[in-house]
Amino acid sequence: MNVVFALIIPLIFILSFLFAIIKKVKIYDSFVEGVKKAIPLIVSIFPYLASITMLSTLLDVSGLNDLLVTWLSPVFSFFGVPKEIAPLILIKPLSGSGSIALLSDILEKYGVDSYIARCACVAHGAAETVFYVGAVYFSGIKRKRLTAALIISLFAYLIAVVVGCALCLIL
Amino acid sequence: MNVIFICLFLACAVALCFINPENFLSALLDGTSKSATLCVALLASYAVWLGLMQVWEDSGVTRGISKLIRPVAKALFKTDDEEALSCISMNVSANMLGIGGAATPYGIRAAKALDKTKNAEFSSCMLFVVNATSVQLIPTSVIGIRVALGSGNPTDILIPTLLSTAISTGVGIALTFLFLRDKKPPFLHKKSKKRGAGAK
Repeated sequence: MNVVFALIIPLIFILSFLFAIIKKVKIYDSFVEGVKKAIPLIVSIFPYLASITMLSTLLDVSGLNDLLVTWLSPVFSFFGVPKEIAPLILIKPLSGSGSIALLSDILEKYGVDSYIARCACVAHGAAETVFYVGAVYFSGIKRKRLTAALIISLFAYLIAVVVGCALCLIL
Repeated sequence: MNVIFICLFLACAVALCFINPENFLSALLDGTSKSATLCVALLASYAVWLGLMQVWEDSGVTRGISKLIRPVAKALFKTDDEEALSCISMNVSANMLGIGGAATPYGIRAAKALDKTKNAEFSSCMLFVVNATSVQLIPTSVIGIRVALGSGNPTDILIPTLLSTAISTGVGIALTFLFLRDKKPPFLHKKSKKRGAGAK
């Protein structure tokens, strides 16, 4: 079964490139053009990444992280979510780069292929940065019901985290 | 985010003053150097996927995907606005690849275009929910980090991620239809949850 999953990505590349050949695209030029866009993207997220990793290291060193996790663990274990990923779940709706920073911390700490790490990956993917979408997409747009949309999104996110962690057990 | 950052930062700093103040600066520097390593991993991952996306764009795959998404988007967002629909299609396809950075410009344009339409109240909310809960086909950043950390099987999270995001999007869309189209009593809450999950 795992072999099938491992094949997904190489197959996507092979099929895409074959299709591009048929369409007479200069693949090398086009690929390089796309890679170029990665640098401005990284430059734009680095400041956020750096600030949040600083904060998360501080949280670790000062012991506040452990405190937070101990507080929240009853709630999370009630829903079958490993308590170690609690900080990630809380920060994800607020900051995409911040949650990536936390995610890589968790992966390093508990082992990249552990159950906790896989739950963290799924929780990370479970939703976009809800508040960021609200702030950036809808800046300057006043609609009464957007608050309701925000609550719905957060609710859907939590359901996805719970289901995702359960799925990690089976798959 | 500002409030949260400063509260947490001060709380940590004060706590550290009591435990061992000499660790403060080293923690900050340690954090930054970690983020630099992380950026290298992400840069590698973005380079690969943005390269592929450009090939898609040039060979017309992106346009094909938008064409596929368009009828669905029309029904979902209840709008006929051409510009809004094409922005939504591009926005959704970039989101599915987990490249939020590429999705944002289209999302902003879609939100502006929808705001001018008749049904703006509903369609803006739908755009919000679909974006906030977006389905992830390939979570590129996550896979990038896992590869960098030497995972034995970096792609084994594909299926759980896909399923759980599909559920969150399903729940979100169902709730939006239920609550934001016209007012309905809240006791239907539970039912819609099941329907959303079942539909996907």
